[in-house]
Amino acid sequence: MKQVHNYLDLPLIEINKLLKEKKITPKDLVLESFERIEQNKDLNSFITLNKEEALKKALELESKEVDSLTFGIPIAIKDNIVTKGLRTTAASKMLENFEPIYDADVIKKINDANMIIIGKTNMDEFAMGSSTRTSYFGLARNPWNKNRVPGGSSGGSASAVSSRIIPLSLGSDTGGSIRQPSSFCGIVGLKPTYGRVSRYGLIAFASSLDQIGPMTRNVYENAVLLNVICGKSANDLTSVETKEDFTRLIGKDISGMKIAIPKFYVNDAIDQEIKEKLNAVVELLKSNNCTIDYVDIDYIDKTVPLYQIIAMGEASSNLARYDGIRYGYSYENPKNIEDLYLKSRKIGFGPEVKRRIMIGSYLLSGKNAKEYYDKALKIRDDLRKSFLNTFKNYDLIIGPTNTTTAYELDKGLDDAIKSFLDDILTIPVNMAGLPGMSVPMGFSSEKLPIGLQIIGKPFDEAKMYQLASFIEKELNLNLNPNGGVEND
Amino acid sequence: MTNYIPTIGIEVHVELKTNTKIFSNALNGYGQMANSLTNVIDLGYPGTLPTVNKEVITLAIKAAKVLNCKIRREIHFDRKNYFYPDNPKNFQITQSRTPIGYDGYVEIEVDGIKKKIEIEEMHIEEDTCKSTHRGDKTLLDFNRAGVPLIEIVTKPCISNSTEAKLYLEKLKELLFYSDISDCKMEEGSMRCDANVSIRKNQAAPFGTKCEIKNIGSISNVGLSIEKEIARQAKLLDNGEHFKEQTRRYDDKLGDTVLMRVKETGNDYRYFPEPDIPYLYITDSMIEEVEKTIGMLPDERRKTYIEKGVSEINANKLVQNKPLSDYFNTLLEEKTDFKIASNLLLGDISAYLNKNEKAITETTLTKERFLDLIAKIEDDTLTSRNLKDILETILEETTSIEDIIKEAKIANITDDNALRTIIQKIIATNEESVLDYKAGHDRAIKFFMGQVMKETKGSANPKLAMDILKEELK
Repeated sequence: MKQVHNYLDLPLIEINKLLKEKKITPKDLVLESFERIEQNKDLNSFITLNKEEALKKALELESKEVDSLTFGIPIAIKDNIVTKGLRTTAASKMLENFEPIYDADVIKKINDANMIIIGKTNMDEFAMGSSTRTSYFGLARNPWNKNRVPGGSSGGSASAVSSRIIPLSLGSDTGGSIRQPSSFCGIVGLKPTYGRVSRYGLIAFASSLDQIGPMTRNVYENAVLLNVICGKSANDLTSVETKEDFTRLIGKDISGMKIAIPKFYVNDAIDQEIKEKLNAVVELLKSNNCTIDYVDIDYIDKTVPLYQIIAMGEASSNLARYDGIRYGYSYENPKNIEDLYLKSRKIGFGPEVKRRIMIGSYLLSGKNAKEYYDKALKIRDDLRKSFLNTFKNYDLIIGPTNTTTAYELDKGLDDAIKSFLDDILTIPVNMAGLPGMSVPMGFSSEKLPIGLQIIGKPFDEAKMYQLASFIEKELNLNLNPNGGVEND
Repeated sequence: MTNYIPTIGIEVHVELKTNTKIFSNALNGYGQMANSLTNVIDLGYPGTLPTVNKEVITLAIKAAKVLNCKIRREIHFDRKNYFYPDNPKNFQITQSRTPIGYDGYVEIEVDGIKKKIEIEEMHIEEDTCKSTHRGDKTLLDFNRAGVPLIEIVTKPCISNSTEAKLYLEKLKELLFYSDISDCKMEEGSMRCDANVSIRKNQAAPFGTKCEIKNIGSISNVGLSIEKEIARQAKLLDNGEHFKEQTRRYDDKLGDTVLMRVKETGNDYRYFPEPDIPYLYITDSMIEEVEKTIGMLPDERRKTYIEKGVSEINANKLVQNKPLSDYFNTLLEEKTDFKIASNLLLGDISAYLNKNEKAITETTLTKERFLDLIAKIEDDTLTSRNLKDILETILEETTSIEDIIKEAKIANITDDNALRTIIQKIIATNEESVLDYKAGHDRAIKFFMGQVMKETKGSANPKLAMDILKEELK
């Protein structure tokens, strides 16, 4: 007997209505999620499932009043965000059996909002990669074409939302790790302004760039999830107090908006098809009284080396704690402490992680720190200033999220540089600490999603949602890879 | 042996007396059960981030002030990366580029001549955890991990072991007096490293530096410097060369011992700590801290001597902060400070030590103490009689006057009463009267003894002597 409820294809507002009217219970949603996980097993979206606890929580919620849109909604969490008592691996052998003893700040907020954590999603090991192929737990697949990558590093979160296993997920973005997989999988993903969301409990990759963000099926639900997870935390000194409703400008008239496109964002490295979709968006916006200009932003074309220096330098230090002493993989019967360090790290980390630690250590060694890291920080400052200057004259910046659509699972595996070149359009946003999002703007001839990137000034996410929701509504794309019932 | 000129620099690590740790809210305590004062941040768990304990910044500003340092207004932290089991994150959060204090000094006095020991810089950092080696195993206690430290680095301006010891004593006194640290070297809350090199004359370049790590007491700092100078001198005299090295002082051996030769400079891969934003130290923060700095030791000594306290007593008082603090409450009063210091350092200290009490735990309020001093000043009470009633004075709240009355030991200052007693003694000791008249000194002492015996020590000695002499004429 096949149940054909498909509650999880419905918008949150409709699910919420059903819950309120007691036509369904949170348990129905949880069970449906797990059915869909089963049906989509080949996607390998999840590293760890939380079925028992999720059902328990669903039952607990039955006696509570449905008091918000997120009440009882299943959510998936990228596996580099620590969850108390629920294994958190960062997709690494190093943390294969690591059960955190505390909750990340965002997890507390998710729990307080009565959402139900379904499981921990697959990702690149320690978020290092952009295809979810460096995961110790095997690669993940793109729901639109299972021979393609879902992108990464938040590939599991993207594929799980795209395939409608859950309506909402959390990812993290250091150089594009939310936006790029969102673009590849045809969902909406936001990297908030640096400081908007507490990083306490996010397993650090590059501290000055990392940011947790929402990954959802549509713009409105993205804003709803950001409402839940944002805010200053006493645990994270880089977090900032901001209280606002991110949905407040959604659906509002966009005429008069001034929008810039960096010339670099239409360069030759970008697929022609993608540029055509961008042009179509430009025409759409123009016809709705928006101004579009092509602008220059200093250093925007130089961010890959900057990223490598800053991200790998910080990563080499952040990952030093995995030494086999207090937690995580520990080599048995080492000869001495040196041997424990070497073997635990040699066996516990995968090749991409080791490569980045080595490069990062080199870049911070001796005089290199001044020559590279200090200089990179300076150029990064100049890049930010150049962005902020642009925002003096423009409301938003747009461009493609990626240079290509999702590529084949076996492509570029032996090319260590490829994953960075994939990110030339997303890295500048992290470097400047700005908010950036990816929203679907069409499909390629191969029926693969293409993402539009929207970049805002610091703490201007609401305006980004305003533009994104307009584009979403006008394009009216069917974004369910299984067909589904949306936008029928 | 050739006479070489030593050059010495000293690095001191001091644990700050805060309630909680520097980057987490775990308690900062000593002597607790291993790993009971620790949390996920101290253990360097994945996902944790440091926060900054304001108390640490306040105490560091205070330290910078009492060490006459300039205070940097824009500071940040840096990561010092190195692998060691006692270093939970395998990086230490410290300050490399923007130490909070710089260009300070501590003044010492060597044979009456004042000298400023210059402080290059002082910075804030976190302590590591404590390793205990048991056979081939090492046990780690994370209670110490994340305890706030300041490191104080002098310029290489110390010329000998005496200066080094005086500097450390002075430093310890300053930090202790300003409530920055309890400075207990035996508990590791103050730790010293000395850098020693020697050269032939002032014109010669500095010699090869050897660092003596973690010396356990101030006297051992002195000893180890002397031994190290002698060791290096002997090597140079023999025409031998040596490499920069780290040594330790072996108490049993009474000499420094090689730990490791420094190869090429350690590469700590310093970079700015990205998880902690810049901190800005404002004028008002500094002013607030300045208000909390009490009278420092040098000023105390000077004031006490001005008030008539002997130099020895002034020094003794300053060595005992609780007594000195108590003494300071009297400074505005009109009293005999010499008597006050004698009492505090004498009988009262003996009582406190015996009973393991602090002066503030006795009933000796300022007012009662002033009364007590007055009774001694006007000879109502002799120091011998005081011994009998001291316990009562320190444990009960009855007025000093009443306690003296109760004990019936008020000095007999009544001329006639005393004269009667003395006449009686003279009458019954004819032999001694003859002795006295023959000019024997011991006779008068005998009579005084008899008077005191008869009056149970309550005769005013001066008065008794006067009457005795009159009656013996």
